[in-house]
Amino acid sequence: MRVRCSQLVKVFPGVRALDGVDLDLRPGTVHALLGENGAGKSTLIKVLTGVHRADGGTVTLGEDGETRTVAFSRPLDAQAAGIGVVHQERNLVPSFSVAENIALQALPRRAGVVDRAAVRDLARRCLAQLDLDLDVDQPVAELSVAHMQLVEIAKALATDSQVLLLDEPTASLTADEADRLYAVVRRLREQGHVVVLVTHKLEEVFAIADVVTVLRDGRSVAGSVPLATLTRGDVVDLMVGRAHTELELSERSVDRAGTPALELRGVSTSVGHRGIDLAVHRGEIVGLYGLVGAGRSELVRALLGLDSVTGGEVLVDGDAVTIRSVGDALRRHRIGYVTENRKEEGVFLTQNLARNVAVTVWDRLARFGLVRDRDEKDLLATYRDRLGIRLSGPDQLAGQLSGGNQQKISLAKWLAADCSVLVVDEPTVGIDVRTKAAFHELIVELADQGLAILLITSDLPEMVTLADRVAVMHERRITGELLNSHHYTSMSAQVIRLVHGESAVDDPPAA
Amino acid sequence: MNRKSTATPRGGPETDVQPPRLDAPVPDDGHGPEGTAAERVGPRAAGLPWWANPRVGLVVVIAVLVLGFSSARPAFLDVELTLVPLQRDIAVFAVVGLAQLAALSLGHMNLAVGRMAALAAFSAGLCYDRFGAPLVVGLVVALVVGALVGALAGGIITATGVNSFVVTLALDFGLLGVVALLYDRFAGGVAFSVRPPGLDALRSDTFSDYCAGSVCGPPVPLLVPFALVALLAVGLFFGRTRQGREILMTGSSPRAARASGIPVGRRIVTAHALSGLLAGLAGFMLATANGAFSASIGESFLLPSFLAPVLGGTLLAGGAVSAFGTVLGATLTSVIQKGLNLLQFEADALQIFIGVVLVVALSLDRIRQVLAERRGVRP
Repeated sequence: MRVRCSQLVKVFPGVRALDGVDLDLRPGTVHALLGENGAGKSTLIKVLTGVHRADGGTVTLGEDGETRTVAFSRPLDAQAAGIGVVHQERNLVPSFSVAENIALQALPRRAGVVDRAAVRDLARRCLAQLDLDLDVDQPVAELSVAHMQLVEIAKALATDSQVLLLDEPTASLTADEADRLYAVVRRLREQGHVVVLVTHKLEEVFAIADVVTVLRDGRSVAGSVPLATLTRGDVVDLMVGRAHTELELSERSVDRAGTPALELRGVSTSVGHRGIDLAVHRGEIVGLYGLVGAGRSELVRALLGLDSVTGGEVLVDGDAVTIRSVGDALRRHRIGYVTENRKEEGVFLTQNLARNVAVTVWDRLARFGLVRDRDEKDLLATYRDRLGIRLSGPDQLAGQLSGGNQQKISLAKWLAADCSVLVVDEPTVGIDVRTKAAFHELIVELADQGLAILLITSDLPEMVTLADRVAVMHERRITGELLNSHHYTSMSAQVIRLVHGESAVDDPPAA
Repeated sequence: MNRKSTATPRGGPETDVQPPRLDAPVPDDGHGPEGTAAERVGPRAAGLPWWANPRVGLVVVIAVLVLGFSSARPAFLDVELTLVPLQRDIAVFAVVGLAQLAALSLGHMNLAVGRMAALAAFSAGLCYDRFGAPLVVGLVVALVVGALVGALAGGIITATGVNSFVVTLALDFGLLGVVALLYDRFAGGVAFSVRPPGLDALRSDTFSDYCAGSVCGPPVPLLVPFALVALLAVGLFFGRTRQGREILMTGSSPRAARASGIPVGRRIVTAHALSGLLAGLAGFMLATANGAFSASIGESFLLPSFLAPVLGGTLLAGGAVSAFGTVLGATLTSVIQKGLNLLQFEADALQIFIGVVLVVALSLDRIRQVLAERRGVRP
């Protein structure tokens, strides 16, 4: 089924979120939908899936001979027309089985009760279409994130979707898992589906997409262009809207002679880490790399009292300490933690921005026990300017910001608290290229100012760009530590070896 | 060597991003634009147009009802007959509402609010009866007992992780028996008969009974300042202090609160202790207004305790409270009750009416939310 949108317009008060978007989705193609945060990608998807009604323009379905113009008023209409979507947020019921989740939207029934055999059959059929071998009776809660994603795709297939919209499908997948997802996408293409891929990762686009549409400020600046005619640079230019230059960060030198700002000696935790040694010096960025599930976030969560450290020593500025809670880490040891889980832990979505930033420093802002709104707003203004946060005012709610700006708010509260050690966990997942680059510069700048930074990321290029040293974790152990040469090819080869538990030394470190 | 970013930056982080647009909202991936100033303590006021403010609606409804009742029954404006008792009712139910508000701030509930008031009132009565304590000592004892029982509830919730609904429900049952036993044991019945000096004045006097020369005070009962102090203290606590704000943050997201260094457990205990303290104050005030410290204190508290804050715009889900709105909510329910009384409605019909008001008020809240969403605002 071919889907064509022409001159779509969607207006929110004060903003034209879509301002004349053209899109042509042909069967048997993988169509990349690109654009920075706020360019209108999500709005376009919401119009296509019936969440929003377009204020102008048309959507037509079908091939040339027989086309019909549609206007979905509810998500169910879009589903009935064969348009399925897999959102970034998982929309599965964790306690239900794989089969139940896949069949949920159209449960096969017999005599008024759910026909369990038919449910399983349907699920097996959908999974087979994806060439997947999963136990259909397993509860979804027991699956890995990658498998949940695939189950969601199967769920979309169960309603006979001809058009599949995948929103940031690989944001939380490892390289191997992403490869498997790509294989599934290719399979769907061969079967004649249209797969629309919304992503920030250009590698991914060039790996699997055939056609690309680029949105900027609510307009399509490239409408359904064959990807073969474009270079990576072209695509970035289209997204950013101006010619770009490669970032060249000046060389940094780190003094590792002094006492580390944060040091772990033989630390073990209640979540299974054993004998972890790790040190971060002032002004140093230490990258902690590993596959998703290697136990990196779990280590720092234990370190900060969200889980417990059961053995070994934690030293802050050379003194052995016990950290019982994040508040303890913050107020007694000046350690901040920018969580990877932005929406649930990083920001308070339903509170205003001023409070989101001031939450760590109310005791400092208070005069005679009372906090003045003006002081909070001044604090927010400081970090708005310093981090370049795009906001409309201090009373805006955090939930109304884009992902990148939410991340900056989440970072701002720790900077406001004047931390000397900052743990930054997956800072740029789901963030557009421009904001990502700004974040990279910001992290380096913070290190230059003397902060000790422990950076957790699954994005290898990001790690090679930022880290001074890289520690690799595999199955809750540190399997090696490397000085970063900032040379992508040699670093990535060494890191990957360590990730898989091999020694890195066979490959001589590049200068 | 130079490091190449995988991305496409220009300049430093400051120059990298466009200047903040204070006029125009950012179309952030479907999250709607924002709005004007917040005047409720907490979220959702931002972005709502003024007509969606629950307080404005309440003031209008109260004014209309007062006009209606007083034209139907001129006695509604009689100072001695109506206005003085009405103020007393409002004062008591505003404090009861504030007690519930303290728990709602977390997204919790305090179903034992009435029985906490009863236990606190018993404690005050015991002090007067057994030890001949002066009036103010009984008040302090009532507040302390209320706060301790509230802290106990908060402590159990924190320690066990059991839902506040269940914990306070259980506590309510427990206290029901305890209060009855205590009165039986210490008062030999269901009430203390002793009245400390000053209680009768506090009960029936208004400021108009106190004159300096020829200038007398307004016809406001002496109990009203208790509610005003409670209102100011609660407003200041949630609006301006670190603890109050941290409680609201905990209410809007316990996980984010923990990850932001807020001592979540201690804040839960504090909020429930405050709830108990205010329940204790309400119990003392009602006992004073009735002129008797009896086991029936607090029996009528539960429904109004929710009605007042919810009508005033406090979220059941936690994270946003309005102390002033709670007083307006208490005023509305008391005005309706008084007015229907004067119109000689039966007590049962009155209950039905109050129930209808609650459903309508909550539906209005939902309608406001939907309207605001249509305007592109995500609450």
